[in-house]
Amino acid sequence: MPLCNQHLSPLQRRYLRLFGANLLLTAVLVLIAQHRYEHAHTSMVLTYVLAALAAIPVIAVIAVVGRYLARETDEFVRMMVVQALLWGLGVTFVADTFLGCLFAYPSLYTLIPPLNLDLFVVTAGVALRVQIWRNR
Amino acid sequence: MKNRLRVLRAERGWSQADLAMRLEVSRQSVNAIETGRFDPSLPLAFKLARLFGATIESIFTDDSPLA
Repeated sequence: MPLCNQHLSPLQRRYLRLFGANLLLTAVLVLIAQHRYEHAHTSMVLTYVLAALAAIPVIAVIAVVGRYLARETDEFVRMMVVQALLWGLGVTFVADTFLGCLFAYPSLYTLIPPLNLDLFVVTAGVALRVQIWRNR
Repeated sequence: MKNRLRVLRAERGWSQADLAMRLEVSRQSVNAIETGRFDPSLPLAFKLARLFGATIESIFTDDSPLA
């Protein structure tokens, strides 16, 4: 219930923890994969396996958000979360398209890291904070 | 959608937080409904009507033009 009342409800706290844990796991798996690619010869099969492993927690992140939305009983809070997620998706898609075009220029390819999940999480988080502030 | 929530709440001397507690929603939800920024779902509208002992139509007024 009180996502916007400074305190989190037990449901929100639980799903926020699950959300954070899966994001952390994604970051760790991506770092492990990058480290492996840079410091050791990696077969094509292992490359695909590591990439797939890093993607699994992202599926879990989506599942966590979906389950939270299904269980959140406060429809106004649910609406704010959905709007924040849409902002996150929108900004990520725009940035992804922009960066995708820049990547076509070879010398820029190595300068700009892919930021999809990071950008989505940060933008959605900022959008949710703005929503909470607007509806305080 | 206009509503008489603020009046009904004031008649009972309830704060937004009191009403939110009774409805099991956040205070911000009550505020958003009162100010017309958020239209509640039918279940929440029925809950409000039951709480105030009134009908939904007597609390909410549809001010949109007829199609």
